[in-house]
Amino acid sequence: MAASAAAAPALNAAFERKPGWGAWLFMAPLLLWLVLFVVLPTLMLIMTSFVERDGLGRLVYNFTWENYVRAFDWKWLKILLISIWYAFLTTVICMVVGYPVAYFIGRSPDRFRTLLITLVMIPFWTSFLIRTYAWITILSRDGLLNSFLLSAAIIPEPLGMMYTPFAVVLGLVYAYLPFMILPIYTSVERLDGAMIEAAYDLGAGPVRAFSKVIIPLTRPGIVAGALLVFVPSIAMFAITTLMGGGSNPTIGEVIQKQFTSARNMPFGAALGTLLLVLFCLALWLTRARGREE
Amino acid sequence: MGASATSGLGTALARWRMPSGPQLQRIVFGGWTIFVFAFLYIPILILIIFSFNESRLNLQWVGFTTQWYEKLFNNAILVKAFKNSLIVATGATILSTVLGTIGAWMMYRYRFPMRNALNLLIFVPMVMPEILMGVSLLILFVNMHLQLGYTTMIIAHTTFCFPFVLVGVQARLEGIDPFLEEAAMDLGATPIQAFWKVIVPYLMPAIVAGALMSFTLSFDEYIVSLFTTGPDSQTLPLKVYGMARKGLDPQLNALSALFVLATITLVLFSQLTKKRT
Amino acid sequence: MKIKTHLLTTAAALAAGTLFLAGCGKPADAPTTTEAPAEATSTPTETAPAETAPATSTPDASPSAAGAVNDEPKQLNLFCWSEYVPQPVIDAFTERTGIKVNVQNYASNEEMLQKLLSGGGQYDLLQPSEYIVEAMIKEDMLRPLDLSLIPNIKNLAPDFRALDFDPGNKFSVPWMAGTVGIVVNVEQVTDPITGFADVFQEKYKGQIVVLDDAREIVSWAMAANGLPMNDITDENIEKIRPTLQSWLPLVKVYDSDSPKTAMINGDVSLGVVWSGEGALLLDQAPEKFKWVLPSEGTHLFVDSLVIPKTAAHPKNAEMFINFILEPEISAMISEDFPYLNPNAAARALLTPEQLANVASFPPDEVIAELQTFKDIGEQSSVVDDMITTIKIE
Repeated sequence: MAASAAAAPALNAAFERKPGWGAWLFMAPLLLWLVLFVVLPTLMLIMTSFVERDGLGRLVYNFTWENYVRAFDWKWLKILLISIWYAFLTTVICMVVGYPVAYFIGRSPDRFRTLLITLVMIPFWTSFLIRTYAWITILSRDGLLNSFLLSAAIIPEPLGMMYTPFAVVLGLVYAYLPFMILPIYTSVERLDGAMIEAAYDLGAGPVRAFSKVIIPLTRPGIVAGALLVFVPSIAMFAITTLMGGGSNPTIGEVIQKQFTSARNMPFGAALGTLLLVLFCLALWLTRARGREE
Repeated sequence: MGASATSGLGTALARWRMPSGPQLQRIVFGGWTIFVFAFLYIPILILIIFSFNESRLNLQWVGFTTQWYEKLFNNAILVKAFKNSLIVATGATILSTVLGTIGAWMMYRYRFPMRNALNLLIFVPMVMPEILMGVSLLILFVNMHLQLGYTTMIIAHTTFCFPFVLVGVQARLEGIDPFLEEAAMDLGATPIQAFWKVIVPYLMPAIVAGALMSFTLSFDEYIVSLFTTGPDSQTLPLKVYGMARKGLDPQLNALSALFVLATITLVLFSQLTKKRT
Repeated sequence: MKIKTHLLTTAAALAAGTLFLAGCGKPADAPTTTEAPAEATSTPTETAPAETAPATSTPDASPSAAGAVNDEPKQLNLFCWSEYVPQPVIDAFTERTGIKVNVQNYASNEEMLQKLLSGGGQYDLLQPSEYIVEAMIKEDMLRPLDLSLIPNIKNLAPDFRALDFDPGNKFSVPWMAGTVGIVVNVEQVTDPITGFADVFQEKYKGQIVVLDDAREIVSWAMAANGLPMNDITDENIEKIRPTLQSWLPLVKVYDSDSPKTAMINGDVSLGVVWSGEGALLLDQAPEKFKWVLPSEGTHLFVDSLVIPKTAAHPKNAEMFINFILEPEISAMISEDFPYLNPNAAARALLTPEQLANVASFPPDEVIAELQTFKDIGEQSSVVDDMITTIKIE
């Protein structure tokens, strides 16, 4: 074992070459792109958070801390916490709802697997805005669901389901569910059938076999899915505005407002920078955890 | 005859056992999957059904009509927006595929000094909240005095699409035979020829998957587009959002029905081409 | 190998198809067509006569305008409110002049201003409200209008030629005016509603839709507290804070784009909305909806077309302005968006029902009493913050 482990890096090392000028040439587009369109904009965002603006909203290039002073106010932190809470709920629901589906498809016979996973992806390929719009027509007070429930005499009066936190989370879950199912499915697909059988044969009940063996084995998929759902949904605002009606603003809506109706780009940049810092922290934490294993 | 029927039933009953753990789990999970599929598809089906509804409201079935499809095809704004989406998505996909594939190969093949930093940087656009990306790119474009329009849109879309191609290709590269390239070069190919004629075909599934992903992400992108569009490059999601805010419009139903149809067609197409090879 | 050939052909087809489609569409602006492979090449497929005069059949066609040579590319970038410019009007303009109109929407004046100021977008026509026109004139952001190219301006009612923020229409031509008022679903709400105090009651919690416009909301609170609505000092803001704190938790939906949607869906039964939205509801179901101007006071708004200094197609813009001042065209606008039409000649073409719609056309003596918004500069940010804060309390 040790010998082959030592051999593997040696193999790679022999294989990898030091880049010559040709290699640098071919690498240049990617490097340029990253610097120009990833690093630079981020730096500019941070820079903008430190300047002022005039009465009309134009940038005035004087250094100031006022945007950050403003940002560290309870009201924004509260909105941020609410957004994180929504994102957390969405992630958990996606996990609970999506895992069995991903597992079932991943363990299905080959010929069904591709079909089933494609069926999962098809709604994802239909514009998320249109799908959100579908839910609006279903959940409205005069909408389909209410008509159905009323005609089946399940409820005496129409339910007000739109423009509530329930509607917001529903919209988010509906949009992000495929992002959870797909990574978990990839993990499940790679599972060794023999190992799973062994887990069940070892005498532990099916539930324990599942939770103690299989779920940990699919951990990379779960973590990837959680990341792909949690992170984007914190700052999502289109779905939350459509489903939430604007009375429960998320941090995404607030930042967007700064760049439009509030005419306060520096403050928006400050909030954005803080959000960015949070994400870097979260990313770093997940990587650090991963390295411990 | 009666005797054999009852004995057949008897044997079946005798043979029936409580499903084992894994089997039970399969049944439960299978049922759950059906339920989730229903959740995913019922809204879409409703959209499609009501796209043929005579009434403007998505409430009751009034009569069959294709008028909304006609209106949709004559809706100059939406048609233009669709074309814009195609232009931007295609441009972004092509750029992303090139950047992602070559980038992944270069990083695999050569020992660049800042590899870890690169990997991290590439990861950033994948998970960065779209609003931050949109806003920071807007600030960049404004400072570069670039007119907002097709170019800025394509740049913006490429930026968050290419990591998906790159990561996908990287994953595929993990399984490659390390001596494949050398074998090709031993047979007289230059590194570029070896790459194009040997490596790329091997990477094709990942490249195709990445390209499809890029196209989908770009076509459906709303938030980044919102910040980087000019007046003449408005894409479909931007217009759809405006329409969705204004309330029910069966043209949106028709549009979504067409989307689903297009997706299913593409999927069938790709399945068929797979089978031939 | 077969997959590869298949894919290359598909990719080639896609690229070719895209180039073709792009060619059929708008020619991209010169500075933006650079390295992107799928970029469109400027091939306008519409051939329009070189001299396109606003050839109207009405006696208002002026010979001087017909002679003006307009050699701008046939494009117009219109940045306007959502729900304000009817598509048939745009189509009619394109048909008559061959000029393709690109439409981008905004839902608030502040949003429009911010997009304009950040300098990225290039717009030829904007549709600001009166207080923003005031600010823009002050900051020298607008291009003076060449009224000789806009002969139809004589169709405007005299009041709208002498507005205090732009007397003589040097920079702006009024598009539509209106008020903000209360619309009531009388099937759901049986009590009499006369003003804000009646709307914002505990018993209507969760049944109200209001505009998502901080300046608007603040002005209502000021009116309810007897304060002059343009007096947005820090002091007055604190005075109205308790009012807002009692009002906002009762609101279910904030929507400036299309507040009538929530009312039609039955999700809310009371709304404080633009008069045009109210008029549309009245039109749709006159027995169901009622329009009330709040007794505490409301304001008049005048939205105008202006041309920013950075416009690339100002002559096309002036043609468009002249076009919409034609009585038939203006009547078309009223058809879709029944606001207060400033075009006297157009009003003559409206039906009695339209003129009787009390949301569109308040009585003259009421209009005379109404104030308009004035520019408040940096305070707009303070106002926006306050509303956001109270929303989440």
